[in-house]
Amino acid sequence: MNAAPVAQNPFRQQFKAFVASRREPDTITRRRREGFDRFIALGWPTHHQEAWRFTDLSALAQIDLQRPTNVPIDANVLPTLNAPAHRLSFVNGCFAPALSQLRGLPNQAIIASLGQALLTHPDWIEPYLEQLPGLSQHPFAALNAAFWEDGAFLHLPRAAVVEAPIHLIFYSIGDHIGVYPRLLLVLDEGAQATVVVEYRGEGRYLNAPVAELQLGAGAVLNYHQIQEESPQAFHLGGIRIHQQRDSQMNSHLVSFGGQLARVDLEALLDGEHIHSMLNGLSVVDHTQVSDHHLWVDHADPYGSSEQLFKSVLNGKARTVFDGMIHVRQHAQKTEARQLNRNLLLSRQAQANSNPRLEILADDVKCGHGSSTGLLDPDALFYLRARGIPVEQARALLVQAFAQDSLNRISLTPLRERLANSLAHYLALGCIEEQ
Amino acid sequence: MLEIRNLHATVEGREILNGLDLSIGPGEVHAIMGPNGSGKSTLANVIAGREGYIVTEGEVLFDGKNLLEMEPETRACEGLFLAFQYPVEIPGVANLYFLKSAVNAVRKYRGESLVDAMDFWDLVHERMELVKMDESMLKRSVNEGFSGGEKKRNEVFQMAVLQPRFAVLDETDSGLDIDALRVVADGVNALRSPERGFLVITHYQRLLDYIVPDYVHVLVNGRIVRSGDKGLALELEQQGYALYNEEPGRARRATA
Ligand SMILES: Nc1ncnc2c1ncn2[C@@H]1O[C@H](COP(=O)(O)OP(=O)(O)OP(=O)(O)O)[C@@H](O)[C@H]1O
Ligand SMILES: [Mg+2]
Repeated sequence: MNAAPVAQNPFRQQFKAFVASRREPDTITRRRREGFDRFIALGWPTHHQEAWRFTDLSALAQIDLQRPTNVPIDANVLPTLNAPAHRLSFVNGCFAPALSQLRGLPNQAIIASLGQALLTHPDWIEPYLEQLPGLSQHPFAALNAAFWEDGAFLHLPRAAVVEAPIHLIFYSIGDHIGVYPRLLLVLDEGAQATVVVEYRGEGRYLNAPVAELQLGAGAVLNYHQIQEESPQAFHLGGIRIHQQRDSQMNSHLVSFGGQLARVDLEALLDGEHIHSMLNGLSVVDHTQVSDHHLWVDHADPYGSSEQLFKSVLNGKARTVFDGMIHVRQHAQKTEARQLNRNLLLSRQAQANSNPRLEILADDVKCGHGSSTGLLDPDALFYLRARGIPVEQARALLVQAFAQDSLNRISLTPLRERLANSLAHYLALGCIEEQ
Repeated sequence: MLEIRNLHATVEGREILNGLDLSIGPGEVHAIMGPNGSGKSTLANVIAGREGYIVTEGEVLFDGKNLLEMEPETRACEGLFLAFQYPVEIPGVANLYFLKSAVNAVRKYRGESLVDAMDFWDLVHERMELVKMDESMLKRSVNEGFSGGEKKRNEVFQMAVLQPRFAVLDETDSGLDIDALRVVADGVNALRSPERGFLVITHYQRLLDYIVPDYVHVLVNGRIVRSGDKGLALELEQQGYALYNEEPGRARRATA
């Protein structure tokens, strides 16, 4: 159907010009070419491909995506955390030093612009960039590998603990542009960090970020990704995660914005006693689409993973949850849990849920479940029968449903801010904290 | 204060109430007994305004106002309370927060200011003692994981905090042990006053030893087939409903 978008050929021209303009090590250029070749080989996704069956890209295919230009933005449009934080801001994928602030860091810890580091210290970057498996079939991750210019680089040496949250803000602005930011977070053995990634913007753009998260043995990463792109924007993001033994990943994917937002996440649990928690909340209205494709691969014994995804849908909105827990034969004593719950506020909204388990080991505890339904009329009546007006009663129930996801976020200033945004996105007016 | 005249109501197209008359004055306690499926909860739900219970004929007046025109929340704000036969679990909404929202909704309706936090806390504590409810239940989600008895106690607790003018208790005694039964009865008796009315739905005469009714009615096939004083409850306990269960003509004779 939309197999031959306007998009493909211009990419070729763009890529040629882009690579010619770069001054960077050959290894990096080679990886760009590989990315681009992969994009060409994979082609533009169509709904005939199982992985893209529910993700309609036809509106995006109509856009002749250009390289972004430099646009100055006002600091006020950027979100804050209301707490001391290391802050890196990126506008249209490029580092904005004036909107950034770094605090004191443990010895040898690095937080930097990836683009700058690549110029000054390519040896920092090369060993880690594009080294993880995963997302090999994802055309937009390939496109990102070809076109990324800048992004955030974090490297924590052994046992380094960064207390203050690391706040990474990606702001896109403009129409008909493609932005390809990159995150490279490397935590060596025993390192710990809390990262908040925020995607925002204005205009009709494509944001196709790729994040690579590497957790060494015993490392702990609290990762938050808050997607509040502009209402006309397309967000097609990829996350690769590699965890070594005893490491812990707590990730929270919150999706409020964009006309079409999709995250593909692949995690390899490559060692014993690894914990991976993937917590997700999508709130969508009108014709918004929010889509999560998750793949968690247990390669070794004694691991545990959770995928807890909730969505609230209004209007004609749609969500997709496609979650896979793969347990290799060798990965005995794995405990894995997968739950997808969808609350429909309108009968025209639609939630596609595809929780999957693929278990090759025989001594594991795995469970999954999925439910999709309207607000419980009995609960609604119960509240009204106590005098609570119907609108407030609805708000209370929806808020309770969604807040459950936010309550898993232990970073208090973020959780509180999101609770407020939640009330706003649910168009519920102000709701008191319980 | 509650006037029910010739009430006909259907559920899913089936007529459940067919010509029910009942008049309850301020300060009175009326008990309704009747076999399973006779329409007792249907009556309670119609009074409270639950969706799906459709009144096809007749009227219900609350202090002279047409109750059937009001939204459920308006009825509650006007001073009506239903203690549910099956209280609903509401995950994620804390009991205390829920109760405060309810109290404030009623106050707002009456044009009063939001309840003072200290006053509310004092009231809650006093009422909690009355129904011997544990404080930890306040923080828990509404009815979530509560035992059957705890749910019923929570209903009476809510009633005691909201202090309605008229309360319908739908089998609040079912599933309660003897001590809990006393607690529920104490909760109701503490609220009894010359201005308040009660409609107590029960299967057991036992409850009426503690909450002594002014009138007892027998509901069969959607109509009140007999009314009497508390002695009627004793009589039913001995004889059951067999007398009323046959064809309608027989039931009508029993009323007379
Ligand atoms: N929501 C409903 N949907 C379908 N049928 C209903 C509904 N509510 C009540 N009914 C039917 O109406 C009839 C009367 O039910 P109701 O609950 O009023 O009886 P009851 O007198 O309260 O019985 P019990 O003593 O068992 O509580 C029953 O046949 C019941 O199945
Ligand atoms: Mg009943």
